[in-house]
Amino acid sequence: MNSRKTINSIFKNAVRLSFIFCAGILVFLFGTIIWKGSAAISLDFLTKPTENFGAAGGIVHQITGSLLMILTTAIISFPIALGTAIYRSEYLKNPRSQNMADTLIFSLNGIPSIIFGIFGLIFFVNILGTGVSWFVGSIILAMMILPTLVLSAYQSVNSVPSIYRESALALGMTKWKVISTVLLPKGINGAITGLLIGIARAIGETAPIMFIATAFSGVQFPTTLLQPVSALPTHILSLAQQATNPAALQNAWGTSMVLVILVVLFSTSGLLVRLRFQKK
Amino acid sequence: MSKLTGKIGKSYVLTSIIISAIVIVLVFIILVGNSWQAVSNLGWNLFSLRWNAPTGEFGILSMCYGTAIVTLIALLLAVPLGIMTAIFTSEMLPSKLRIPVKSLLELLAGIPSIIYGLIGIAFFAIWLQDLFQLQSGRTILTAGFLLAIMILPTIITLVDDALHNIPKQYQEASMGLGLYKYEIIKNTLLPIAKADIYGAILLAFGRALGETMAVMLVIGSIDKIPSPFFNVLSPGQTITSKLGREIAETSFGSVHFSAMIFMGLILFTLVFIITLFSQRANKKRIRLYE
Repeated sequence: MNSRKTINSIFKNAVRLSFIFCAGILVFLFGTIIWKGSAAISLDFLTKPTENFGAAGGIVHQITGSLLMILTTAIISFPIALGTAIYRSEYLKNPRSQNMADTLIFSLNGIPSIIFGIFGLIFFVNILGTGVSWFVGSIILAMMILPTLVLSAYQSVNSVPSIYRESALALGMTKWKVISTVLLPKGINGAITGLLIGIARAIGETAPIMFIATAFSGVQFPTTLLQPVSALPTHILSLAQQATNPAALQNAWGTSMVLVILVVLFSTSGLLVRLRFQKK
Repeated sequence: MSKLTGKIGKSYVLTSIIISAIVIVLVFIILVGNSWQAVSNLGWNLFSLRWNAPTGEFGILSMCYGTAIVTLIALLLAVPLGIMTAIFTSEMLPSKLRIPVKSLLELLAGIPSIIYGLIGIAFFAIWLQDLFQLQSGRTILTAGFLLAIMILPTIITLVDDALHNIPKQYQEASMGLGLYKYEIIKNTLLPIAKADIYGAILLAFGRALGETMAVMLVIGSIDKIPSPFFNVLSPGQTITSKLGREIAETSFGSVHFSAMIFMGLILFTLVFIITLFSQRANKKRIRLYE
């Protein structure tokens, strides 16, 4: 009897300790980023171009480069994801092809980001001969976040009760009319949520874009589709490799904080959008 | 008119799904096509220990070993810690606090991997170096430790969901038998949630295999299996860190390049198989209790 009680209390304390440990990791990571980052951030840092390979100057071109890339990523992936979700929900009826579509989407979701990077390097940069280009980076990022958007849009299209579809069909609407007036608005809500979450992930990715879309320094705002840009995550990479230089390291923390703020901004707005649509 | 828009609409959704399908097939074809040169030139020599580009030796075993050991360390650390933390958030935390606390822990998943790498070289590598009196703190253990933190939120969230989704009457019935919390969790909740926990671990496993940036910065990048092989306090190399470090300096079309892509293909295939398994684990979830 007594040993049962002892085991129980040991267990409870072990569980409590693991939680405290995880909470400690969380506090340590965010504390470090905020503490180290805020020392580096100033108005000049956010608005001046990079000097001396990142050890001096600011990161304005990295910020604009990252934003430009994810904006394009959003424009590319949104319509494709919406269409895929509607097709999966409304046109695929037999379980076997539904299963196949799911497997496809989940496998795409599982592909490691570095694989997208080398795929882009071979297919776009070498075979199609685009060279290092921000636009190619956007295409690759769009491929990467596609499953997130598709799943989110699919869930909301699929959550429309069948009775809506049946009533609309009974009114004599064509199938596409039903989709465009009843299902599409719902699907768009889901796709927006997925898009914000996907973008929060895409903006922090380094591996897919480092060979194909970015140059480390001396890059201005691009004027054509086929130019490299600088981006926040690849900038952190190049600064991290000069970690022995304290000035470079400090700017790496500053860049990290800007990046984390952007990620948190996109993911919380995704969360808020989801909550708002759920209430409706 | 409406017939026309209907046609346009249908061809739009059809095109979308075809594009999605083409993407994954294209990735696979490109990987296979470009690794062919290495396979036909080197054959079984690919599975040897020496990687030396100037002499034309491209043995990938050291990198495979690195990936395996780093992933193993990460899972050994993160799985027990993650499951225990999930038990806390799902079963011991007041239910009002569960969602806020969980969302905070999920923030960990949002930190980009390059920032984990930065924290790894600025802190963990230095701590390990001082602790074990090493020449350099960039070791296999550092990478495994960092990776464990990165996959922790995946495990916590999914296991917490799995435990939370179990209907309350199971707990109530067990409580009625006079069982302690530990006994309820061990004998009632964990067996029911087993399939979901298995799925969560597989998902974390897949993520750990493919993680690049953080591992690349802290692992030390030496293409060797340490001696003795379990000496995790020495530098190593994973498939992903090798690809990240070297592919940009390798000329397209050479055997060297092709051998690198072959490693990518192995990684892709592994992750693909794991994804299939985790999907099956999710589907087999027996809804006995509904």
